[in-house]
Amino acid sequence: MAFHVPRSLLLPLLFAGAVAGAQAQPVRIGAILPLTGASASIGEDQRRGIELAVEQLNAAGGVLGRPFAVLIEDSGGRAPTALDAARKLASVDRVPLVLGEYSSGISIPVGQYLVKEGITHVNIGSSSPKMREIGATSFSVIGLDDVSAKFAAEDVRAAGHARAAFIAPNSAYGQGVAAEFKKNFEAAGGKVVAELLYTPGQSTYRRELQQTARLQPDVYVYSAYGQEAAVINREAYDLALNKTPWYGIYLTMCTTDTPAQIANGQLGMEVGDIGPKGEGYRQAYRQKYQEDLKSAYGSYAYDGVMLAAAAIARAGSAEPAGVLAAMAEVGKDFEAATGPIAFDADGQRAVQPYNRVRYQDGVVAR
Amino acid sequence: MLQFVLDTLLRTADLALVALGLSMVYGLARFPNVAHVQYALVGAYAAYAVQAMGGNLAAGVLLSCLATGALAVLLGMAVFDRLLRAGPAYAMIGSLAVSMLLIALVLGLAGSAPRSYPLAIAAPMALGRARIAPLQLAAIAASAAIVGLYALMLFRSRLGRALRAIASNRALASACGLNVAACTAATHFLSGMLAAFGGAMLAMNTGAHVNLGNDLLLPVFAAAVLGGLGNPLGAVFGALLIAATETAFTSVNVGWLWGEPVGFLPVGYIGAASFAILLLALVLRPHGLFDREVRRV
Repeated sequence: MAFHVPRSLLLPLLFAGAVAGAQAQPVRIGAILPLTGASASIGEDQRRGIELAVEQLNAAGGVLGRPFAVLIEDSGGRAPTALDAARKLASVDRVPLVLGEYSSGISIPVGQYLVKEGITHVNIGSSSPKMREIGATSFSVIGLDDVSAKFAAEDVRAAGHARAAFIAPNSAYGQGVAAEFKKNFEAAGGKVVAELLYTPGQSTYRRELQQTARLQPDVYVYSAYGQEAAVINREAYDLALNKTPWYGIYLTMCTTDTPAQIANGQLGMEVGDIGPKGEGYRQAYRQKYQEDLKSAYGSYAYDGVMLAAAAIARAGSAEPAGVLAAMAEVGKDFEAATGPIAFDADGQRAVQPYNRVRYQDGVVAR
Repeated sequence: MLQFVLDTLLRTADLALVALGLSMVYGLARFPNVAHVQYALVGAYAAYAVQAMGGNLAAGVLLSCLATGALAVLLGMAVFDRLLRAGPAYAMIGSLAVSMLLIALVLGLAGSAPRSYPLAIAAPMALGRARIAPLQLAAIAASAAIVGLYALMLFRSRLGRALRAIASNRALASACGLNVAACTAATHFLSGMLAAFGGAMLAMNTGAHVNLGNDLLLPVFAAAVLGGLGNPLGAVFGALLIAATETAFTSVNVGWLWGEPVGFLPVGYIGAASFAILLLALVLRPHGLFDREVRRV
């Protein structure tokens, strides 16, 4: 008589044996970060978040009873280097999951490659709406720009403004934010009276600003990269447009290159660095690095690692297919340092906490 | 309306000095110097460099004008005069090459990030409903003063008379004992200085950036051609016309075209507006608006 054991029962048994035999073999995942290049300071903060998460996981006994490790690769802020790193993590280290990167332009090709390899991708720092289209095995623990524009629209409307002028670069990013802002602002009863999608890299936006001003908005909502924002802010100041309130989406980005005298008093929003359950993370960070959180992106990297560890624990193994299935489950409701994470149908963070911030003398603070 | 006038004058100030120098060199050397707009770029960065080393704005602009003037003389003698012997087309192609070299030089020395002048930020002044920053007002005044001085030089001084004589008939002027080589050098020097001054004033508002020269190329050539190449004061008038067209194009309310109370033509098409004017002028008056005056100089 044939004795038949279902494979689903057999597999965990086999693995239990393997684990017992190789106690020291760590569970490994990968991460690709901009440790050098233009975004190196953000990359370093992401690395800190990962380091803290790994320490805490191992102090609590590791994952699946084994030590836990994250293999960190440098992208150099370049997509080709990041892709090489992804290839190495996939084919040499054979990790089931890779975190990264920071710039959308790099996260997207990395994510596409990982999707093709059947390896789970977790986005810990990019906010382009295009992240949503990478594929079914790519997840985001940070809210994309459709979510940020909604927050900004509701925040501006709640402050009592009804006629908004919207200013953003004429790029995939700017067009996406503009459309989402308009949709949400008008749903909340306001009206976008002018939409200025400027050509990036110009030396002057004076004419565009004059046209915008003629429509008499009661608030200027803008999102611009540092240098372009500096030109816009300066010319708006010269035209006395700063008598009307200015609201920056990702205010830190908007004000970094602008003189304090001009940008003082601007309001705006930033991604939240810490949620209600995140105090422990903040304290651990302070203790280890002897300073307050350098950016919000360390927190998202920390959450990415914690989420990945939870998925591996639920899968009961570090096999790519199992981890992928478990990730979708764990991500339905996960209490993270940056607040609760709940993926939508596309595996993207549906609810993202943002902070309302104000610029004063070089500091963007709540 | 006042804002329209101010904006037009501001844009004229941006273009006039550079167009003036371009037209002046054309009058003497008889070739369109494409590298001329890059003198404005060099001037803007030179003025920034002096300020970065601790000088004030006035010292920066003065030194920058002298240095750029010297550069223009050097390039004129070492490159353009030689190429001109082969013909104006060669000189123009050569000036295109010089233009690219100058951009590459600035890019290599200063990098691609724009450099803002370390100037105090002053609140804009209100004239009725119009707004203008004190620095912008200063730029308009300085341009007007320089154009005035230039006109005095051209029509009241010996140098001016010599320049007019050479422009009108080079061989005859030379035969009459005028030092044509020295006058040509003086013209290069003056045109370099004017371009540097114009570039530095532009950079006061927008910062020195690598595309400063290229952004000027088309409107400045349009202004110079409109005024009749070789007629420097015509170029100033051409600049005024281009500036007025551009300002009207972007500030006239054309919302009625698509049934909105307020609407404007996109700023991106602004170049098309000035070129429509240029094309029209060239078809109707191929030698510029002041044809007769040019031939009579």
